Amino acid sequence: MKASPGKVDIIIPAGPKMAGASHQCTLYVGTCGYSYTEWIDSGFYPANTKNSAMLGLYSRCFSVVELNYTWYQMARADAVARMVDRAPEHLLFAAKLTRTMTHERAADWREQLVLYCQGIAPLKKRLVAVLVQLPPDFHRTIDNRNYLAALLDGLQEFPIAVEFRHVSWAVDSVFAELERRKVSLVTVDEPELPGLFPSLDIVTNPALFYVRFHGRNSTGWRSGNMQKKFNYDYSEEELHSWTETYIRPMAARADCGMLFFNNHVRAQAPRNAQKLVRVFAAGKRSLV
Amino acid sequence: MKERSVIHFNVADFAVSVERVVDSGLRQCPLIIAPLQAARAVVYDMSEEAFRDGVRKGMALRRATKICRGATVLAPRPALYQKAMTAFLKEVLNYSPLIESGFADGHLFVDVTGTHRLHGPPPDIGLRIRRHVRTHLGINPIWTLGTSKLVSKVASRLVKPVGEYIVSPGDEALFLAPLPVALLPGLTRQELRKLEEFHLTTVGALAGLSRQQLMVPFGSRSDYLHDISQGIDDSVVSTSSLTTTQTVDCEQSFADDTNDRQEIEAVITDLVSRAGQCLRSRRQVARRVGIWLRYSDGSHVVRQASRRVGSNSDFVLHNLALSALQRAWTKRIRLRSCRLVYDRLHKQSPQLLLFPDKGVRERRQEKLLGAMDTIRNRFGHQLISIGSRSSIAGDVRSTIH
Repeated sequence: MKASPGKVDIIIPAGPKMAGASHQCTLYVGTCGYSYTEWIDSGFYPANTKNSAMLGLYSRCFSVVELNYTWYQMARADAVARMVDRAPEHLLFAAKLTRTMTHERAADWREQLVLYCQGIAPLKKRLVAVLVQLPPDFHRTIDNRNYLAALLDGLQEFPIAVEFRHVSWAVDSVFAELERRKVSLVTVDEPELPGLFPSLDIVTNPALFYVRFHGRNSTGWRSGNMQKKFNYDYSEEELHSWTETYIRPMAARADCGMLFFNNHVRAQAPRNAQKLVRVFAAGKRSLV
Repeated sequence: MKERSVIHFNVADFAVSVERVVDSGLRQCPLIIAPLQAARAVVYDMSEEAFRDGVRKGMALRRATKICRGATVLAPRPALYQKAMTAFLKEVLNYSPLIESGFADGHLFVDVTGTHRLHGPPPDIGLRIRRHVRTHLGINPIWTLGTSKLVSKVASRLVKPVGEYIVSPGDEALFLAPLPVALLPGLTRQELRKLEEFHLTTVGALAGLSRQQLMVPFGSRSDYLHDISQGIDDSVVSTSSLTTTQTVDCEQSFADDTNDRQEIEAVITDLVSRAGQCLRSRRQVARRVGIWLRYSDGSHVVRQASRRVGSNSDFVLHNLALSALQRAWTKRIRLRSCRLVYDRLHKQSPQLLLFPDKGVRERRQEKLLGAMDTIRNRFGHQLISIGSRSSIAGDVRSTIH
């Protein structure tokens, strides 16, 4: 068994603009969340798998996971510590910021932020990023810009990735500020619908780029039902095309990349993640 | 056994929340809900602000208004709370048929095991229901997720009055271990006192004892204590509150505390007639009645009486209730309230007997009650009553569990 499954090193040959040696970027492929009963029904986990055994089984296939339960409820240090203790050593974590600081902003969000920082502290060096996912109605207004700046200030002790869902944030000044703060801009793959943040190959943090594959289910996207919204199965061609258009250019400008699949319905996320790893492997062979 | 996903919804201070939805002007002030016209009224519900000032449910209203001077006091409107509860229930029914609810108290257990393909992961269901209820009904329930009613119930006690808590499967015992034993549901005051005497203050300390060790002080309760301390709870989410195996529960608080037998028996007669009508409308019969008597000094007595054959006749139920009253009313202290609970219900058989088992008198009583039900359904319960009954002041609360 591989020591770090789902981890791929890709070598970007020195181009005409790059002086000297070629560049190596390490990619980690994983999924958004791992604890889905549906993945038992779909055969990704063996029949009768207990919830507590899922992380161990997941880590046989991947080396990074995005924790999404921290979005539903405030991270609690004791529960996080128990999970980290049970996780194999090679497994890394990204942790989503709690919704009371993004989608349902509470009046006491500063206190919430302190609690959150304490809650994820047990992840320590295994934390690849705190994911700040902002809702579609979070437009680029003065208030929201100030709020985001304060939020990023409060999280500065951690690596951060910011995902915008509204197109108004797709401006150079935003990318420049993220670059100044060494915050990763999340590159998304999602349906082409008006108002959504576009897919961009911009790297704002050379230490880390962060990608989320949400699927391209345009009919289910605004249904309000996760089972419809994230029901999409990427084909090998789509992943290959995406790799060439976005991942390789970003990998040329970063040391590390995190690639997460969010299309969890019917275990399409882990299957597509494994498919992407195979696409990389095939790409490597073709380079050789 | 398949791991279950049980969500507990709890609207803190449900009556207050509903009143505040109806009148948003009440949101800014402390609120106490209590019968206004009764001389010895007690607090039915209170807002978080009043709670922080020391007001508690069951406290004398006079004392409560002294403690929380700025509070607005409103009379309870059980029908309104029941309506809100029905709307809440209707929303939750979109996600699972397995729902256990109380009577207009804002509490619901929902078993969403196996619904993931349709509705997604359980945390998402909890969040979606809360959002929807908040948007459409204006109330903001706590939601907690666990593998049993026990775990989700304890979790909701931790996040009151607002919030959410997800206890991961497999983490039950570790989650409970540091918590005070008083947070465990179903423990009596005597049991809590005994646990304190043994310095068993946390659930973890209790979990450290074997069944045999617990058997010595707690006897037949040792198994229950052992299981809940380990986070083990196999009790199913009972849909009895939504189906026909319900109880019929009626309660009367006296406007003034009394030990007048005639007045108390009149109240019993009124409660029986309400329970009887409810049973007949559901085509059910009851085999047992429990009576709760609450005395002026705060103590209460519970006694019951049962019969082999179920009935929904007021005349039979009345005799049963008087037997239970005889057993319960042993003190000379005045009574504050009286509650009747009819249970061991089953369906009234639609099968007619070949040879009638009722005499002429019973058949005439049955016809009389049928006629009274028709009148009451059309013009209200108070319009017609059985003779020798004195008029009843105050609200009667009927509950269905």
